Amino acid sequence: MWARVTNALRVIFHRRAVERDLDEELRFHLDMQAQEHVRRGLPPEDARAAAQRSFGGYERVKEQCRDARGARFTEMLAQDIRFAFRTLKSSPGFALVAVLTLGLGIGANTAIFSVINGVLLRPLPYGNADRLVLIRQAAPGSGRPNVNVSIKEYFDYREQAHADFDALVEYHQMNFDLLRRGDPDRVNTGVVSHNFFEVLGIQPILGRSFRAEDDTPGAEPVLILSYTYWQTKFGSDPNIVGQVFQMNDRPHTVVGVLPNVPHYPQENDVYMPVLACPFRAAAEQRIAQNRRAFAALVVFGRLRPGVTRERAAANVEAICGRFARENPRVYRPESGFTATAADVRGELTATARPMLLILMGTTGLILLIACANVANLTLARLLRRDRELAMRTALGAGRGRLIRQLLTESTLLSMTGGIVGLVFASATIDLLVLFVGRFTARTGEVSIDPMVLGFTLVIATVTGIIFGTVPALSTRVDLVTALKDGKGAGTSLGHRRIQSGLIVIQVAVSVVLLVSAGLLLVSFYKLQQVDPGYRTDHVLSADAFGNFSKYPNGTALLKFYVPLIERLQQQPGVVAAAVTNAVPFTGAPGSTPFQIEGRPDDNPDRRPTADINIASPQYFDALGIPLIAGRGFSEMDHQEAPAVALINKSMMRYWDKRDPIGSRISVDNGQSWQTIVGVVGDVRQYGLDQEAIAQVYIPLRQAVAGLAGRVLVRTKGDPFEAAGIIRNTIQQLDPEMPVENVNTLAELRSTSLARPRLTATLLAIFAGLALFVTLAGITGVIATSVSERTREFGIRMALGAEAHAVVRMVLGQGMALVLAGLALGMIGSFFATRVLSGFLFEIEPTDPLTFLSVSLVLLAVAAVACFLPARRATLVQPTVALRST
Amino acid sequence: MNKLKTDLLQGTLDLMVLRILEAGPNHGWGISQRIQQISQDVLRINQGSLYPALHRLEAQGWIDAEWGSSDNNRRAKYYQLTRAGRRQLAQETENWTRLADAITRVLETA
Repeated sequence: MWARVTNALRVIFHRRAVERDLDEELRFHLDMQAQEHVRRGLPPEDARAAAQRSFGGYERVKEQCRDARGARFTEMLAQDIRFAFRTLKSSPGFALVAVLTLGLGIGANTAIFSVINGVLLRPLPYGNADRLVLIRQAAPGSGRPNVNVSIKEYFDYREQAHADFDALVEYHQMNFDLLRRGDPDRVNTGVVSHNFFEVLGIQPILGRSFRAEDDTPGAEPVLILSYTYWQTKFGSDPNIVGQVFQMNDRPHTVVGVLPNVPHYPQENDVYMPVLACPFRAAAEQRIAQNRRAFAALVVFGRLRPGVTRERAAANVEAICGRFARENPRVYRPESGFTATAADVRGELTATARPMLLILMGTTGLILLIACANVANLTLARLLRRDRELAMRTALGAGRGRLIRQLLTESTLLSMTGGIVGLVFASATIDLLVLFVGRFTARTGEVSIDPMVLGFTLVIATVTGIIFGTVPALSTRVDLVTALKDGKGAGTSLGHRRIQSGLIVIQVAVSVVLLVSAGLLLVSFYKLQQVDPGYRTDHVLSADAFGNFSKYPNGTALLKFYVPLIERLQQQPGVVAAAVTNAVPFTGAPGSTPFQIEGRPDDNPDRRPTADINIASPQYFDALGIPLIAGRGFSEMDHQEAPAVALINKSMMRYWDKRDPIGSRISVDNGQSWQTIVGVVGDVRQYGLDQEAIAQVYIPLRQAVAGLAGRVLVRTKGDPFEAAGIIRNTIQQLDPEMPVENVNTLAELRSTSLARPRLTATLLAIFAGLALFVTLAGITGVIATSVSERTREFGIRMALGAEAHAVVRMVLGQGMALVLAGLALGMIGSFFATRVLSGFLFEIEPTDPLTFLSVSLVLLAVAAVACFLPARRATLVQPTVALRST
Repeated sequence: MNKLKTDLLQGTLDLMVLRILEAGPNHGWGISQRIQQISQDVLRINQGSLYPALHRLEAQGWIDAEWGSSDNNRRAKYYQLTRAGRRQLAQETENWTRLADAITRVLETA
């Protein structure tokens, strides 16, 4: 066995030596035989001739010896590759075009796959990732697919589900100020159960994780830093453990630093135990009265060994069903409140998945087009190689051998294309990561790793086989005619049909891509045109949240905000200044039930709901929200004045045609009532594609319980210049107040449009690419067809046909193909664009206008692509054409 | 004399070559001469079958090749039996004997 391997290797690497040896060995025999004949009395020349005769076919014997060696396959493969190399080198133009086309197709697929690999396929980088599940609550009846868990609910799960979980941990995110050497850092703080990191399977690289003792009332507050925060703000100080920092007016000791892994569910700078969070601690006191107090938790757990997710999900659902039934006032039956145990990785990537799959489909289609193109090119080239193929057949190559040779060529091309594609993909991967970052947090793991390389290899090989098979199978060599006149004597009809078929497919696929891109572009355009109900120009927003310990209640906050507004309004260049809790494009709508005074309130569980916003008087001026009826807020609406409220236009429907002004509403179950003094315009607060909902506005001074904290300023000039003014004014009043998220509304709006914009752009680029490749293919095929038919055109023109008649003929034949492809593509688009309906805004997936425009554009461009080579047909001189062969 | 068909005697040819080489290393010409000699000219091995057979046996590892100098001081490729080849020879001889015996018995008795 081993001898065979060494033998085979020897044949491959020392081919020449082996050949020499064989030759010498056989020659020795010949000479000896001749000598023998001489000894028997034959004259020398006759002896030689006799010896050779009895040898019987010198070359054939050699061939048989080579066969016997058993290294046939690898030897032939090596020979094929060498030959393929030589042939391709002799047509560098073809090779270059083919490699580039394939490189683009393969590269696009590699790039998208590397993203899919990093985001969707790779397991989470946590030790216990396969046993982690997320407790997800939902109220589908109220249109809320995701409801955060409250403290009491978390306790319920923890107590009742321990059969399936060996640990259930909670998480929520806060923003606190960490005073680092005097500078306040607004840090994203993850507030977690003490065994949080242990459940995830993360070990700190410095210090220790939290212990149960850290999470008891009265324990000294401790902190764990994230790797990035430690690296950037503390310069990876190795002595960080043990240092103390002020947070929320209490000293916190650093006890550990996390390794450099992505954070789940959100990126945080520091982590603290649950009871160190003052809001959570305060809320926990209230859970007896309010089941849903502090409904801000993310809960996930580790399954016990052997427990399946499905079983745990059933158990969780049962527990939820129980407490929902026991508390119908809190969990209204029609809300369909339920819970399940969801796969963690799926949750993280849910937003990105459909988009990525669409992209994968798109790049797959582009590769198909590229293959069709190169197949056509190869076919055209084969027509010119008839003579060579005929010769090889005469020399003994079977059809299988020829096909193998052609496949080797095509695979060589596609492998080279694959390398080009890898280069192309690695160049564009950073851009792609930026794009995907809008959809998911898992972008840190996107890279070109062995999995991606393997994928590229497979795709390149399959591509080579696909576009090599089509022309290869069509070669039927007619020996006699081929050798005689050496011109394309292969079945030209068969070739023509294949080429036409490929063109039709290419056009059809391009149409599907163009229609998809068109729909997304129109959708994006419409989104951009949406009137949000407020003006986004010249408005700056900034977050200034009061430190909880310094501002323990609304009164204290007002002492800060009211002077802040006054000072800002006095600044030159400031047209209006306001403080609110609701900046457009941020946040999510709340739904607070409200009552209208004087209306029957039979069923407190079925009250209508509205979004409650806090607004200082100039809020509406700052945002340009029109006042429709009544009056806005003023300085008169302070704490001691009668409680007032504003409603928006959408909310007017609850009053039918009657005037709502003067009515009183309550948003806190009748404890306090506000009089409606005016109606303002609707705003699309939470995104341009969201409908306006019922909104109630409460004046800042009268909103004691609210956590306002966002400053809005309308400026006369460039809003950016106001950033410094806002910062200074705030810090004059309170040097420790951090100022964050300073954005112009125009920027926020642009960010909210980012996803649809990027999606439309990306798909448009792909569609353009596809169209370009297809057009190139059309031009190429028609050009070769024209050059083949020069003789025919020559005859036609000699017989009196006008030039433009010839052009029309060629054009007609080309456009016939395009039309066929167009029809096919339209049908395909009809079904394919359903996939996009989730991404489309105010446009149907079968929008006739888009389909029509794409058709017109395609026909126009294709006509040009056909016309150029057609025109060349007419430049042929009839005499020249007739003479040529 | 008869030129025996290759396909009929391929296995037998291998057997004979191995046997000849058991007596000592030899080159292709020598082997064919020896077979012709011993069989008293009945078996004249076609070079077209001998050399492929030799190369096949070498590829399979039953024989080893080495370049040496022949009687008349010419470079020639000498083959010799390997240990595995020796085992193979014993095996093949046994098979052949059994086969030949069986055929002979049929011819005699039937």
